[in-house]
Amino acid sequence: MAEKLLEIKNLKQYFNIGKANEVRAVDDISFDIYRGETLGLVGESGCGKSTTGRSIIRLYDATDGDVFYEGENVHGKKSKQDLKKFNRKMQMIFQDPYASLNQRMKVMDIIAEGIDIHGLAKDQTERKKMVYDLLETVGLNKEHANRYPHEFSGGQRQRLGIARALAVDPDFIIADEPISALDVSIQAQVVNLLKELQVEKGLTFLFIAHDLSMVKYISDRIGVMYFGKLVELAPAEELYNNPLHPYTQSLLSAIPLPDPNYERNRVRKSYDPAVHEYTKADDVRMREISPGHFVQCSERELESIKAAAVTK
Amino acid sequence: MEKILQVKDLELSFNTQAGEVKAIRGVNFDLNKGETLAIVGESGSGKSVTTKSIMRLLPEQSAEFKNGEILFGGRDLTKLSDKEMQKIRGKEISMIFQDPMTSLNPTMPIGRQLTEPLLKHQKISKTEAKKVAIDLLRLVGMPKPELRMKQYPHQFSGGQRQRIVIAISLACNPKILIADEPTTALDVTIQAQILELMKDLQKKIDTSIIFITHDLGVVANVADRVAVMYGGKIVEIGTVDEVFYNPQHPYTWGLLSSMPSLDTEDAKLYAIPGTPPDLLDPPKGDAFALRSEYALKIDMEQNPPFFKVSETHSAATWLLHPDAPQVEPPLTVIERMKKFPGSRYYEGGAV
Repeated sequence: MAEKLLEIKNLKQYFNIGKANEVRAVDDISFDIYRGETLGLVGESGCGKSTTGRSIIRLYDATDGDVFYEGENVHGKKSKQDLKKFNRKMQMIFQDPYASLNQRMKVMDIIAEGIDIHGLAKDQTERKKMVYDLLETVGLNKEHANRYPHEFSGGQRQRLGIARALAVDPDFIIADEPISALDVSIQAQVVNLLKELQVEKGLTFLFIAHDLSMVKYISDRIGVMYFGKLVELAPAEELYNNPLHPYTQSLLSAIPLPDPNYERNRVRKSYDPAVHEYTKADDVRMREISPGHFVQCSERELESIKAAAVTK
Repeated sequence: MEKILQVKDLELSFNTQAGEVKAIRGVNFDLNKGETLAIVGESGSGKSVTTKSIMRLLPEQSAEFKNGEILFGGRDLTKLSDKEMQKIRGKEISMIFQDPMTSLNPTMPIGRQLTEPLLKHQKISKTEAKKVAIDLLRLVGMPKPELRMKQYPHQFSGGQRQRIVIAISLACNPKILIADEPTTALDVTIQAQILELMKDLQKKIDTSIIFITHDLGVVANVADRVAVMYGGKIVEIGTVDEVFYNPQHPYTWGLLSSMPSLDTEDAKLYAIPGTPPDLLDPPKGDAFALRSEYALKIDMEQNPPFFKVSETHSAATWLLHPDAPQVEPPLTVIERMKKFPGSRYYEGGAV
């Protein structure tokens, strides 16, 4: 398979450590992201998928574990200079295009902020040209540069967020629910734009979302999270056709599809974590069931899961 | 079938500093007894405004009824006084909102919020009301209802809060329940539970539901009939099968094609180009014409009337005019039509 761009190893992100209300938002998860792919991360609210994204890009200092970007550790002691280098390569697109753009700045300055910080433009003319080019890349035009965010619709604002992320010419973009706040007809526009950009610029995406049909459409591989843990990771097609973890099965069975006949016959499965009957002695971790398809299970469950994978 | 609510030629505008926003531009529909009518459309299409005008929840300083009537029980709701409306709101017609955190009072135990409509609309004692409230909580699947009565909204999860809101809205056995995106703020698994609960309760108490959502998956799950709104008008209305398997309006085609189904292949997702119309200055003809590749010349000039497809199905598009050229819908839509007896792409077999 392709080259590893990112390696996440035993990442842990706890909040309120040592207090009664300690939260283990991300609890020991490991996965790799390959160059040029889109990895989707799904799960219910509060499962830790956004926290995972934010820990990877160091918006939070990880409690434990490592994130390697092209073999270099992102976390741990870093000088400002070193961090700057990572910040250029990794960018983020946020969910709410209303809250993530500074209302008092003009579009020109919002997009050029990264260019200024990293000193990518020689002079004002070049800076302007870069911003104009970026606006065109995301389907807006240069007249928009002198406006303020409030003059744009939700879909256009999300395009601004994408242009801002692209300004520093990153390799890797974390998109945290980038389309959840948009209308259905606009969602498709933004998703198509992300896909086009990926091909054009060879970008790698971590796509965090709870809309499973959209995630399947955009992702090459998908990870499913439940209560801070990754419970299943597989190629997108495989995960939908052959879900092995009971939580993934219940999640998939809950998605309503725009097809009345399917809806009349859909049987919803519920998930009860007690079904695993894990004891302290069980070594519960991700195990590879078939090439590229990982499921969190104990040694005991491995055989039955493997059997289920074959019969399907 | 008994018609419980009739909306006729409804036109409503908001007077704003920028001018008159024509939010609803001639909406007609009936609601039958015991059915679920889903209204779909994007933000700004007028779906929430339509239902809020039924409930008369729009600010009176700026919202103005221009034309039309809303008939309920022989009375025109647009003409009632506030006092008369208060007797209907929460009793005959009640509403569930999107965000269960903001529609509950955070400083009041949920028991008091449940008994409030009962004490207001029915002549019963506090003890009786409490009993009814506990039964309601049990009905919506809340464990230990006696204990829960004394708790505050923040002590409940999002799904539980929406259950409480549903219980409150059902307290007086309303004839109509309006649900405005009731599951949009919830996770898919919780959403599935709430939808099942609503369908179950509808059977038990025989109420009619108007369900507003932009999620076509949810529509396919709950609706008996579907109305598609665009630019302040209904552009297509029919039974759920008619709208999903034999859609006629290009906007409905666009909506259905822009949602990936779980078997959408890698092909590019269809995106409706452009943005919704500006209702300060609505287009002269078909509001969707500017974004539609199927637009005819007449679409730019004249607003299409409703053409009947069947007794229950009609759509406002010039494409249905006998003189209109026959066009090929998008591929994904043809795939859908293949399953529908009566469409010209039908391939046999039962739906």
